[in-house]
Amino acid sequence: MKPRVIIGTVAIVLFTSLLMWNFGNSLGSYVGFEEAETSGNRVHVIGKWVPDMPHGFDNQRMVFNFYMEDNYGQVRRISYNKPKPNNFEDAESLVVVGKMRNGVMLSDDMLVKCPSKYNDASNLEMVNL
Amino acid sequence: MIGTIGSFSVIIAFLASLGAFVFYFLAAQKENKSFERTAHLLFGFHGAMMFLGSALLVYLLLTNQFQYFYVYNYTSSDLSNVYLWAAFYSGQEGSFMLWILCSFLVGMGLIRWTSDTYRAPVMFFMTMTHVFLISMIIGVTVFGVHIGASPFRLTSAEFAHLPVFINNPSFIPAEGSGLNDLLRSPWIIIHPPIIFLGFAMMAIPFAYALASLWKRKYHEWIYPALPWTLGANLCLLVAIFLGGYWAYETLSFGGYWAWDPVENASLVPWILGTAGIHTMLIQKRSKIAHKASIIFAILAYVTIVYQTFLTRSGVLGDSSVHSFVDLGLYNQLLLFIMAVSLSGLLLYLLRMRELPSPENETPMFSREFFMFSGAMTLLLVSLVIILGTSAPIIGRLFVANPTPPQPQFYNDWTLPFAIAIAFLTVLTQYLWWNKYKDTETFAGVLITPTISASIITVALIVVSGVINIIYMVYLFAAVFTIIGNGMVMARLIKLTPKMIGGSVTHIGFGVLLIGFLGAAYDTPLLDRSTINYNAAVERGEIFDEDGFRVYQTMDVMKLDMNVPKRINDRYNVTFTNATITHENRPGEQQYRIEFEDLRTGRTFAVHPVVYPMIANSSAGNMSWTVDPEVRMGWLRDIYVYVSGSSLVEKENNRIENQTTFQAVADILMNGYEESLRNSEINNLVRLRPGSTRQLGQYNIRFDRFINMTESELPENAVVGVRARIEIINLQTRHAEVHEPVYAILFEDGVNTIYSPPLSIESFGFDVMFETIDTRTDEAHFRLIGIEEQVEDEWIIVAIERKPLVSVVWLGTFLLMFGFSIAIYRRWGDERKAYKRARHYKDEQEIADKAENQNS
Repeated sequence: MKPRVIIGTVAIVLFTSLLMWNFGNSLGSYVGFEEAETSGNRVHVIGKWVPDMPHGFDNQRMVFNFYMEDNYGQVRRISYNKPKPNNFEDAESLVVVGKMRNGVMLSDDMLVKCPSKYNDASNLEMVNL
Repeated sequence: MIGTIGSFSVIIAFLASLGAFVFYFLAAQKENKSFERTAHLLFGFHGAMMFLGSALLVYLLLTNQFQYFYVYNYTSSDLSNVYLWAAFYSGQEGSFMLWILCSFLVGMGLIRWTSDTYRAPVMFFMTMTHVFLISMIIGVTVFGVHIGASPFRLTSAEFAHLPVFINNPSFIPAEGSGLNDLLRSPWIIIHPPIIFLGFAMMAIPFAYALASLWKRKYHEWIYPALPWTLGANLCLLVAIFLGGYWAYETLSFGGYWAWDPVENASLVPWILGTAGIHTMLIQKRSKIAHKASIIFAILAYVTIVYQTFLTRSGVLGDSSVHSFVDLGLYNQLLLFIMAVSLSGLLLYLLRMRELPSPENETPMFSREFFMFSGAMTLLLVSLVIILGTSAPIIGRLFVANPTPPQPQFYNDWTLPFAIAIAFLTVLTQYLWWNKYKDTETFAGVLITPTISASIITVALIVVSGVINIIYMVYLFAAVFTIIGNGMVMARLIKLTPKMIGGSVTHIGFGVLLIGFLGAAYDTPLLDRSTINYNAAVERGEIFDEDGFRVYQTMDVMKLDMNVPKRINDRYNVTFTNATITHENRPGEQQYRIEFEDLRTGRTFAVHPVVYPMIANSSAGNMSWTVDPEVRMGWLRDIYVYVSGSSLVEKENNRIENQTTFQAVADILMNGYEESLRNSEINNLVRLRPGSTRQLGQYNIRFDRFINMTESELPENAVVGVRARIEIINLQTRHAEVHEPVYAILFEDGVNTIYSPPLSIESFGFDVMFETIDTRTDEAHFRLIGIEEQVEDEWIIVAIERKPLVSVVWLGTFLLMFGFSIAIYRRWGDERKAYKRARHYKDEQEIADKAENQNS
């Protein structure tokens, strides 16, 4: 074996394992509110906005409050520390990133899943009424 | 009818591309000219059919034929023709068509310009991509398997389950659901066509590489492939720039880059294309790069298809802002990527032993070695990005339901590679243009750039206050790249100006690196009290009404009209005006925020915009979006958007109260002024003792009730109280205390209320103690005349400082310029070589003929 090959192999193995280790650490996991509550860590929760419950921007604390139902049927208040994102009302689902504190999800990052407003059948359903 | 013709034209185009595919194969295999001519005809015919299909789709869009689902779903009758045209590629089906059209035009260019040796096999692989791409939009069912999603399918078929279509199958919706307002921007006209042109052109090096393997001509292919790869890279670069600028300037994504999978989808092929360009350049001089050139050419296209798969198959689902919804193309896309990568892999393995390789080891100290190392580093960078983007798939090895990696992952891993590449560009450029007899002389030459770069870096660190040690190394690498490549360029420009493409590009890279550093120092600009509040939140000293600790800091501020706030101890900002302009769409609002730079004394104003998203709104539920305003500067941008305002709230109330069945756009257009006249500006303040309320620029504090003594009571009064109130003008800080009277009189057998207006001359309005609500213990005060001066107007505004964004744009322009020079040069070389080969071949043929005649 040539020394170059050995050094090369060692370097590749080191690089790959470091990369994969760091990659694994940088990943989160999508969870429900209950799991988010028990872990207390920064997590991603997928859910749907509950329009019937109170929502709006709090001009005092500068947070956008709304209620979201996760995929397991749990509903929690979300306190999002930025203004309401674009396309919010139209979203098919939301991904909220943050920590649970005292039953409230404190979020600083939100992804609005808006499938290029795909399949908006609501107008047509209205026609029938 | 038109739809049927359209569907058929796509189906015929598909069959023609299959025919061309077969004939190109035969032509390449048997080297038969008549097969090749047939294949060209079929290829041209399939392109004509695709143009026909696209023209019909555009016609349907322009004429608002909502019985077609694609038209219904992406347009509405209020759209201008420009956006109706853009709607052609706003959806997934149409964007495949655009891709195919771009690729077809590029293919015609290839037929025209490719040499005889490679033409048939190159076109064979190009046509292969067409077969797959057209299959995505063909929309037919064969043996129970549904293939592709046709852009010509009917709305009634798409919504067959809805009652309206069950009752009346020939129902045609009167209005479409409209183009998303975020896409109604001039950028949509130009951004997608360029990106698909880039995608189409990146197929060319792929096709050339596979053709070279097939025909065992491993060397010559790089001459024609090089300018095409450069062209593909230039397109991707321009598209990435436009996308970043669009996201930053008008979409309020907060920055120009977010490591979103769709962004990565064009970045990774660009990086691999760049690596390929470098190995092709090495290949001209040494045999170490033949294999690598082929691999990079294949990989660049494979990653384009792979990222297309990721973004369009629904795999990414929740991890990207703009991933498409699955149209049922998962299997087809999977097949496409398998075909592209397997054809590459198999051909490569088949020919691997024959491929040229260097006779002896390349010395460490050589331009080939350095350049090759640079290309390999680029490969590593792209592997990291691919890994991150593939998190929804690969991440399952680590966690269930993996999320995308944090941006930190990408930043951490690309930074050291960027540093390495920066150094390698300088070393390679010096060695490329000059020969040095040993390491010492070479090191000697590098002394000047190293020392000057060190001095400049130290100066920059002192001025900018960078304290992170890794950033310091990074900064040095960037400055070193600019200076090193700059010195090479300065020498070249005198000798052969058309060869400076490489050095200009590398300088652009260095400038980009400096610009990227700015993103680490983005900061919200806030006033002193908000900054103090945020510090208290961090220390855990703030609690909410229920006694829970508050964790969230505030990155936005409230500005009252004409009340200035000092932000970051640097600027005085004042919100001075809000108007409904209707400029680009009904109901669009424009705000005016004035800045005064306390350091330089200069003033400027920004005009952020807020507008209703009509396509997504109904009268009861308005959806608003923001269009930020960027004040560009060489060193820093000031980025401002209004995220909420009293004007928006007023409009929401007005629209909610409309009982008519007007379209939202009409409500927005009409009646705002009228409703403003009719609406009573609220001059009523309800206060409990001890509480305070703000009305406009005044603070009204209700201290307490004061019972009136007998002597004080007005005539005939049964009972009477005075209210002690303090009114403060927040702007002038002038305060006054007053005690308006409320009494009940018994006159002529009836109770009447006595509450005389008390005139406050210095403020210019009257106070009236109107009534007492005994249930809530609230006193009602009416401030008559305050309407004229109190426009209770406010905005919630986000102001951010984003350093060095202009430097990023500058770096991008330098890259574009460098690529363009390189394309010009390489294309010229290739044309000359082509003509020489032609000429040589003609002479050969004449000689052959002469020989035949002689014998």
